[in-house]
Amino acid sequence: MPATDYQGSFLGRISIRRNQVMSMEGNHEQELEDLELFQKHVADRFAELAPPSPSQPSDDIPSDPILSIAWIRKLLDVFLCCDAEFKAILIMGRDPSQISKPPLDRLIPEMLDRDVKALDICNAITNGIEAVRHYQKLAEIAVSALEQRPFGDGQVKRARKALTSLITAMACEDKDGANYTRTWSFGRRGAAAAGNNKSTGQLRSLSWSVSKNWSAAKQIHAMSANLVAPRGTEASGLALPVYIMSTILLFVMWTMVATIPCQERSGLATHFPVPKQLVWAQSIIGLHEKIAEEWKKKEKKGSAGLLEEMQKLDKLGQSLIEFTDSFQFPAEDERAEEVSAHLAELGETCRRMEEGLVPLQVQIREVFHRIVRSRAEFLDVLDLNGKSSALAM
Amino acid sequence: MEEEKKNPEKSNNADASEAPVTESTPKAAIQTQKAEEAKENEIEEDIQEHIDQEKVEETPPIEIHYTIETASDEIDKFLSTLTNNDDHQTASPLEIPEVVWRFLDLFEEKIPKHDLGVDGKAKMSTPVLAEEDTLLFLDSVDRVTRLVRKMSEMKLPENTSDQTYGVLNNRIGGVQQRAMSFLEDEFRFILDQDIFNLDHKKDTTKENNQETDPKPVAESDQSAEDPIVNTPRVSLEVSSWLNKMAKVMISGGYESECVEIYIIARRNAFDESLNNLGFEKISLDDVQKMHWDTLEREIASWITTFSQCANVYFAGEQKLAEVVFADQPMITSSLFSNLIRGVMIQLLNFAEALAMTKRSAEKLFKVLDMYECLRDNIPALNALVPDQCANELQNEMMVAKIRLGEAAIFMFCDLENSIKSDMAKTTVPGGAVHPLTRYTMNYLKYACEYKNTLEQVFREHWKIERTDSSSSSRQETEGEDQSCDNNNNDNNNASQPSPFAQQLVSVMDLLDQNLDAKSKMYKDVSLSSIFMMNNGRYILQKIKGSVEIHEAMGDTWCRKKSSDLRNYHKTYQRETWGRLLGCLGLDGLMANGKVVKPVLKEKFKSFNSMFDEIHRTQSTWVVSDDQLQSELRVSISSVVIPAYRSFMGRFSQYLDPGRQTEKYIKYQPEDIETYIDELFDGKRKP
Repeated sequence: MPATDYQGSFLGRISIRRNQVMSMEGNHEQELEDLELFQKHVADRFAELAPPSPSQPSDDIPSDPILSIAWIRKLLDVFLCCDAEFKAILIMGRDPSQISKPPLDRLIPEMLDRDVKALDICNAITNGIEAVRHYQKLAEIAVSALEQRPFGDGQVKRARKALTSLITAMACEDKDGANYTRTWSFGRRGAAAAGNNKSTGQLRSLSWSVSKNWSAAKQIHAMSANLVAPRGTEASGLALPVYIMSTILLFVMWTMVATIPCQERSGLATHFPVPKQLVWAQSIIGLHEKIAEEWKKKEKKGSAGLLEEMQKLDKLGQSLIEFTDSFQFPAEDERAEEVSAHLAELGETCRRMEEGLVPLQVQIREVFHRIVRSRAEFLDVLDLNGKSSALAM
Repeated sequence: MEEEKKNPEKSNNADASEAPVTESTPKAAIQTQKAEEAKENEIEEDIQEHIDQEKVEETPPIEIHYTIETASDEIDKFLSTLTNNDDHQTASPLEIPEVVWRFLDLFEEKIPKHDLGVDGKAKMSTPVLAEEDTLLFLDSVDRVTRLVRKMSEMKLPENTSDQTYGVLNNRIGGVQQRAMSFLEDEFRFILDQDIFNLDHKKDTTKENNQETDPKPVAESDQSAEDPIVNTPRVSLEVSSWLNKMAKVMISGGYESECVEIYIIARRNAFDESLNNLGFEKISLDDVQKMHWDTLEREIASWITTFSQCANVYFAGEQKLAEVVFADQPMITSSLFSNLIRGVMIQLLNFAEALAMTKRSAEKLFKVLDMYECLRDNIPALNALVPDQCANELQNEMMVAKIRLGEAAIFMFCDLENSIKSDMAKTTVPGGAVHPLTRYTMNYLKYACEYKNTLEQVFREHWKIERTDSSSSSRQETEGEDQSCDNNNNDNNNASQPSPFAQQLVSVMDLLDQNLDAKSKMYKDVSLSSIFMMNNGRYILQKIKGSVEIHEAMGDTWCRKKSSDLRNYHKTYQRETWGRLLGCLGLDGLMANGKVVKPVLKEKFKSFNSMFDEIHRTQSTWVVSDDQLQSELRVSISSVVIPAYRSFMGRFSQYLDPGRQTEKYIKYQPEDIETYIDELFDGKRKP
């Protein structure tokens, strides 16, 4: 498993130090220091994800635009880092009985329950990426058709067909979650025919569902339902990292659900239950507000998902459809010029998708496995205390 | 379709030999048809207008009557001239012969009106084209593709006939697009047939089978017995049609469309097939909440599905891709890789989900079934997965196997928890076998039917337990922790009992301790011994009854157990019968060489009452093992009866015959024996 070793040195340090201090009771200060450090790292990592500065246009080439594939990959990296550090703080070298004392005896099972829901979301997203890859292919067909020379009605029709399918597919996906009716029905007059004949029209999801009636929005809601910031003395104890990590998990999953096609996300909450005064959460809250705003716009407009590349496909696709609608042979040079810029942008977007989607899919799987493993490690510790009976049900 | 029929009819009517079809009639017919169509379908409208306009403007006067066949020949000649003239092509652009236009017209007429009906139900039942037409059609598409290619290679002269070339190019492109569109539909239509379902039953494809080649794609003759062994059940003929179509699409530059149609159709077919096998998609969250009964059924379907995929479906799928995309190894492997990855991850997710459920002992056996299924199929799957996803999938399988293995260990070890937590303060009446003993031993006996697998599981995944709680215990974690694992591995000497056997012994020890504690709750030491004997005997019988468990526990352990049992037996003898025989001691009985009669009477009396008491209590005790029961009775009799007989023989004469004798010698030795035989029946309540 790649990408697991970037926290290696850090874990090493903690574990060595812990082993040295373990036997003594006076490691409280050490613990406070670790917690401080963890909060600082969380704040720093998420600050790096924030868009460079609100005044600058987001078209800046060097940094990855927020909600782009590359950005989500960074987000997942951040998640993996935080998780590694979290486990180092909470489990490594610690007397297991410490984490089965109140309030952790309640908080950790709740966290493990959230983990399970997050795993389903990972799977839903993995499925959703299949749909995004399909969009990419449709866009590629349009690009290659319109780039073809000589250029005429045939190419335009071909591109138009692909683009129409693309736009319809993205819109349908948006409405029905991943269970969109396959409208990609060249020649059989698309959506009209697909709706009601058996062979092309039965509910055929391109991306497989997690299970019947599963809803990403509901799972997100369930994950946030019992997430409460620790107060009083708990706020400086081990309840804090559990809360931080759960918040990060919730944020990462929520962001993916909002961004990538995902089974049933209507009613996705836009409220983020994190107190604004928490220093470590500032960047996360900022990001959340930004994305939630986009999501609300999207919900109103009914446009494609928040994934930056998909929005590009949508925008460019629409404009190219307009072009194909008004096209008459022979092509006028000015119109062709006009289109070629859009075409180049669409091509570039496809290229980024081609580069990023498969690694993203693999990375989501890595996150999946990491969550499974972390969960199992907590269960092991709890098992050692014979406290596992209350869990997992 | 209608056209197909009309055309030959018309030509037959007009003339049988040369077919001098009047130009206007079919065209007019087609145009009216086109107009109708346009009404039906607005989107079509503008396209048709284009075409019609072009025809009006561009169709030159007709001199020769071509059929599609004759025109095709001409086109082939024309194309070969172009090829021959390749070298000096730049110098003198060729004149485009009339026949190119005619060919395009004729071919366009041949493109079936596939999008006639909105619901298209009539079309769904049969492919649009008849076989021979399909061949002609495919050839024509290919011809158009070659025209496109040639035209684009041609360097057009700067000034001359620029427009004509452009218009012709546009026309060719338009016809190509229409043809390809149709081909896509046909391709999808064939792929969507039920015979492409992986689990398509043979009996429902009788018609298809009759016309199939002797060699079906997924060859296997035993399919008659096993209805789902042959997948996908597509004849070589059908798949070779697909191959021809795919070839034409790919060479025409429509690879993306072709591949997307294929992948969607196959993903859906797979999805349906898995569903038909009973594999239902369940979220991990739901698996955690499911009742065990329900989950057990899901596990059974999972096992069927997984091995079906590993042994049949995947191979069939690969084969299909290889046939349809012959000569396109890149496409084949990327399609197959996409599919197998998706399906495998879905299947493995269920294993992960199950491994995450609450670790309770009763789940062990199903989890082991899954583990075995995974383990046994991994080699075949490893050989099958294409390079693109080989690393990922192999890793996925390994991880899933580890998870199931770890879960199995936890579940087996949960037995320890069950034993430890059985702290009930009540005793089993009559010292019978404790339910915990029965449960534990039956569990172990069942578990030992999986002994080889459990041995493997403990060998491969044991280290995660019992090391410290940190992440260093996991094989796949951060590299720096590896040293830890290595140390653990080094400890595994061959001479030591296997980790599973160790665990088994530790379970048995735990059970012994627990039983020992339970035995102390009996106030009567004899009963306590009977309890230990009962349970010990039960344990030994179970161990001897199972080769696997006997092997695992070893002879030494069994010998030790037997000797423990003998000790309990001795204790019992001493506690109950030793005391009884104490009544028959000679102490105080003789004074000055004479028998002291009151003492003798007292001895008989106390013997009688003690024996009564023993009989009364111990006949309520339970020894359910027949052998143990008779062993006990025999050994009791052999101790008591001779002693009693000799005591009686020696001293009964000192009692006055008659009433006195009757009073003090309540039992004859035979009676004693009878009463002893009534012990441990558990019959009467005390």
